[in-house]
Amino acid sequence: MAAIGITKREELAFRRGVINGKQLTAKEREELMKPFLPLEPIKTSAPSALSQSPKSPKLTQRTTSAPKPKPTPIRTFLHIVLHTVISFVFSIFFRFRRAWRLFSYKVRGVLRHHHHTPEWIVNDVKSVEQLPKHLSVILEHREDDEDQGNAGLEGLVQDVCEIAAWTASAGIPLLSIYERTGVLKNYVPALHAAIQNNLESYFGTRRRPTLTVKAPHTISYSPPGTPSSEPTENGSTTSRPHLTVLLLSEHDGRDTLVDLTVTLATMAQKGDIRKEQIDMNLVNAELSDYVSSEPDLLVLFSPTVVLKGYPPWQLRLTEIFHLPDNKGVNYQVFLKALKKFGKAEFRVGK
Amino acid sequence: MTSLHEHGLSRWIAYSPPVAWTVRQLRELLIGAIKQGPVPQHVAFVMDGNRRFAREHHIETVEGHNMGFEALARILEVCYKAGVKVVTIYAFSIENFKRSKHEVDALMELAKLKLGQLAEHGALLDRYGAAIRILGNRSLVKPDVIEAIDRAVAITANNKRAILNVCFPYTSRDEITTAIKSTVEQFSTPLDSLQTPSKRTFSESHITQQIRKQMLEEDTDGRSGAWESRSASPASMKGAKSVEEGRSSSTSTTINPSDKDETHSATPNYPDPETITAATLNEHMLTAGAPPLDLLVRTSGVERLSDFMLWQCHENTSIVFLKCLWPEFDLWQFLPVLVEWQWQKKKLQEQQKSRAHSKAD
Repeated sequence: MAAIGITKREELAFRRGVINGKQLTAKEREELMKPFLPLEPIKTSAPSALSQSPKSPKLTQRTTSAPKPKPTPIRTFLHIVLHTVISFVFSIFFRFRRAWRLFSYKVRGVLRHHHHTPEWIVNDVKSVEQLPKHLSVILEHREDDEDQGNAGLEGLVQDVCEIAAWTASAGIPLLSIYERTGVLKNYVPALHAAIQNNLESYFGTRRRPTLTVKAPHTISYSPPGTPSSEPTENGSTTSRPHLTVLLLSEHDGRDTLVDLTVTLATMAQKGDIRKEQIDMNLVNAELSDYVSSEPDLLVLFSPTVVLKGYPPWQLRLTEIFHLPDNKGVNYQVFLKALKKFGKAEFRVGK
Repeated sequence: MTSLHEHGLSRWIAYSPPVAWTVRQLRELLIGAIKQGPVPQHVAFVMDGNRRFAREHHIETVEGHNMGFEALARILEVCYKAGVKVVTIYAFSIENFKRSKHEVDALMELAKLKLGQLAEHGALLDRYGAAIRILGNRSLVKPDVIEAIDRAVAITANNKRAILNVCFPYTSRDEITTAIKSTVEQFSTPLDSLQTPSKRTFSESHITQQIRKQMLEEDTDGRSGAWESRSASPASMKGAKSVEEGRSSSTSTTINPSDKDETHSATPNYPDPETITAATLNEHMLTAGAPPLDLLVRTSGVERLSDFMLWQCHENTSIVFLKCLWPEFDLWQFLPVLVEWQWQKKKLQEQQKSRAHSKAD
């Protein structure tokens, strides 16, 4: 409150429209507002113009981008200097902050490594009260690596394998992987083999979860020989957990909504559907059947939150997690995301 | 009154005219400085935390919303002075109707009051040049609030310099569904119906009818009267729409008006649905015409979109989640966000430049 540059009397007047216990008239309000209004560049001919009412003073004030009365050279110069100073100071600050954060992430990463053992991961997520049923991640296909060692398709596949293994270890049944270009969709069988291999290195051959890799509009790929449950040597039947990996791309976002609209328009032209029949439930049903359901948690491994074309419809209540300034896939982001999700409270509209 | 319980002395100092004046000048100066760099053209705010603020400061929920409104006023001032063209705020979600009736009513009352006050000062609003637009599902709002909305919107409609989008009551899924629906509607409306027969003096179908009549007269003089009365009536009713039927029926030997109606409805001339693109849908969104969303800010530490601007923010928008509660949100919290946005923007441009260079090499 204190820092907005108004006096006590003015504050009261703005809030309540009262000065010394008297209700203000429109004229008085105008007087009150005068010092706050940016001067009028175009028509100054309306001094009788109504002022703001006490509660909306800033409404009008803010609505303006009106230039200053005279943008004097001194003022402009001052602004430029100040802008330079601010940008400079902040850029140093941002760099230091990034360095510090990266350092602390690295330290934590070393201290709390998962050692490729599902048990460690299970232990890590044990304290998390609720786990997402559908986890989603955004990955990037970069052509050049910035000393991350994850460039190109190979790096991407490697990231997918690791995340899949963590997800399976944590016991989350559905993982959707968004990558803008959709390059992974071209290599579904190969990707399946790679993830399977990695799961094997985590779980061992016998405990390895079964795996399905699929992409929207294609048949899901789960090769034979991966029964969901099989008798163990002891005779007891343990059902192995199952992991579904769903590959999403930019095409599953806006383009799919456009496809849906085209289909609906064609149907409407033939008279197969009435306008009233198109509603949120229909759109939702179509999109969750053909593309993906709403993920509970979306994990970004990028330094800032930019969604890069992630399917919009599905993002409604998704918890979005990112570690500021983090770059590249690592286990700490994954773990922190799950922990944060465990604490989040879900209130729709409340 | 209910504002923060600060110490008497610091409060007294902050409110003393010289300090207040200095702070005001400083704000102006900072805003002016921000303006020197790139400024986001379209900013959206999720004003979250009014209720938690009220709880933490032991004031009424409604009073918390009031303070939130003041914060909004301050932040809008900053935005427009800095040169933001469009500000979109999430004022009320369709899901908010689930809240207690008391609170919903109070919020509606608040909206009505503020919009009403706004409408009283039309002349000043013109000076500032911001147009208010209400984005949302009107069918859910009571008529008296609708009236206040319409008045405020009408009064500011001519302002071109800036836009304030108030999402009320809004959800993004509702918006997308409505956009799909209206697009479907547009593409399932026959093109021909657009040109009414009154626009042209001569109707093609009428000419066809005339020719056919002449042909028939040549053929069978005796029966011509009966044909004329029959064939003229559908033509005059349907006007330009029945071009095709007119042609087809002229070749057929038996003419039956009821048959004609069927053939007509089977072959209307629709626009090609394959021409629908993302741009088409974009035009049907409530934010049509606004520049792409550059920055979305959500306060109170909740990291979710909560059904807000899904279509608009899922591409290249910078999304920022802040810990502070909305009533506390001010220039001092917003300034670092803006500076960081400018910094990232600059970095992005540098990257693109270097990429372009390396490609050229």
